[in-house]
Amino acid sequence: MSANSDFQQVNELKGLRGFSNLFHKENKAWWGTHRWWINTLLWTVLLCGLMAIMLFAPNEEANQASASEILQAGGATAYILSLALSVFFEFGGPMLAIGTVIQAQDLIIGEKQNGLIEWLLSKPLTRRAYILAKVAANAPALLVLFVGLPATVAYGLLSLRTGAPYPLLSFMFAVAILTAHTFFYLTLTLMLGTLFNNRGPILGIALGSVLGGGLMGGFIKPLFSVTPWILPKVAWMITTGQAVPAEIVFAPLVATLLWSLVFIFVALVKFEKMEF
Amino acid sequence: MLQSTPFVIETHHLCKSYGDVQSLRDVNLTVPRHSIFGFLGPNGAGKTTLMKTLLNLIRPTAGTGTIFGYDIVTESVRIRERVGYLPQQPRFIDQMTARENLHFAARFFFSGPEAKLRARCDEMLELVGLEDKANRPIKGFSGGEKQRLGIALAQVNYPDLLILDEPASALDPLGRQAVLDVMARLRKYTTIFYSTHILDDVQRASDTVAILNRGQLMACGPIEQIMKGGEGVVYSMAIKGNLPVLDTRLKEIPWVTHTSVTQQNGTSVWQVSVSDEGAAEKDLLRTVLADPGVTVAEFSRKKYELEEVFMNIVKGAGNVC
Repeated sequence: MSANSDFQQVNELKGLRGFSNLFHKENKAWWGTHRWWINTLLWTVLLCGLMAIMLFAPNEEANQASASEILQAGGATAYILSLALSVFFEFGGPMLAIGTVIQAQDLIIGEKQNGLIEWLLSKPLTRRAYILAKVAANAPALLVLFVGLPATVAYGLLSLRTGAPYPLLSFMFAVAILTAHTFFYLTLTLMLGTLFNNRGPILGIALGSVLGGGLMGGFIKPLFSVTPWILPKVAWMITTGQAVPAEIVFAPLVATLLWSLVFIFVALVKFEKMEF
Repeated sequence: MLQSTPFVIETHHLCKSYGDVQSLRDVNLTVPRHSIFGFLGPNGAGKTTLMKTLLNLIRPTAGTGTIFGYDIVTESVRIRERVGYLPQQPRFIDQMTARENLHFAARFFFSGPEAKLRARCDEMLELVGLEDKANRPIKGFSGGEKQRLGIALAQVNYPDLLILDEPASALDPLGRQAVLDVMARLRKYTTIFYSTHILDDVQRASDTVAILNRGQLMACGPIEQIMKGGEGVVYSMAIKGNLPVLDTRLKEIPWVTHTSVTQQNGTSVWQVSVSDEGAAEKDLLRTVLADPGVTVAEFSRKKYELEEVFMNIVKGAGNVC
């Protein structure tokens, strides 16, 4: 029977007490279970599978495209590549956002509802550490499994189709934009988890943004500059080599990153005041 | 700051309200070190609210409190480093086994060495008799097993204070006994502050008691003191014979404060409240028997059951605080 003095005491910053233990637990929930490969398989098959069909199957769309469309794209191969990239970025962006919202909706609200937060906060764990551990563990997992791995496979498919390495810089920039877009929805969902006590409003607001954002931006154009709603299209345009004005790229990208920081800040402030 | 009083928990005029509803009203509570402190009250009395307030899960609207001398609001993390808590409905991380849950809980306090951490987890499993279920998924555990695992999780850091919210209420008699046994084993290491509405358990396990009703502390102190009730020392006598003369004679005694009589099967049952316990012990029976027209069938000092005291207090008949 060892006394407490026989143990090494946890050595953390005062405001982040309990962070490393919770971070480890959150990481384990991704990497220590089946969850990581199920998500890898799901998103890679969904996004890259559709892309592969576009790239390698006898292509009806290319046959049906008009000469001017093919000419505008820069040839038949470029037209097919453009369609495949559209599937990955324009269709994939919102799909990944929906997947992120579904995966993240329970991160806080689930533990709130089943009483686990109450127990966790009875341990030497600060509320700040709780929120930051959620972000720090889930963001890399989601971004690697949802964006990183499918993007790597997608890059391979594109290079295989063109017979040479696909332009890497523009592709990486587009993936970075998709990453910011996905991160926005992770932080939004986490923040909503601190603001509400059931899943309805979380799903309603977050999915409303994913599915209705494009429509809203269509009606009120300036909204595209201060939201992530146009980012999937911007990513596609960049990776297909289209000329994109800098303000269309950077304003929504910076706004999206700022929103993400604001969401984390609001979650920290709100969680600090909550009672369990 | 180190504790300089004999009390582990101290609250001063602690209040908590939700709108117009006052869950805690001006609670002044002291919990002595190394006591098994039973915290009693009917459902909705505010027991859980007080426990959560002590752990900063709920913020007080007025008043202050300290545990080990640390403020419950501003120094909560320092307090929680030395406290173990069992919620009313224990929660676990379902994906983990009992051993993994213990290891996870221990990691909030200790970063190593790993071998000692494993040994501590094994020791906790043994303490609550769950060694054979250490590696099983928690979803297969019975209510009693979950409760015992909850206590093990609360005890994993050898806390100086265990706060247990209704640790045995949802259990069958065997499960309850097992939990009370664990509490008795832990007594020499720690102070146990637990809430319950099972009076029998309190009478068996506690040395100090507080009674909370509608957010107000109605009684607190050593259990013997509480068990005396709010009426002081009372003697009970079953008497046959000349009652008016006896009544007059008793009322002439200066330390007799109150008498009452009820009739049971032709016998008069007298309740005599006294202010001088020593004098009553020596002279009360002698005084009664001095009258040759009186026969005493029974004579005893009235013993209260905790339930009687509790009901008196909760129904507003007494306040022993």
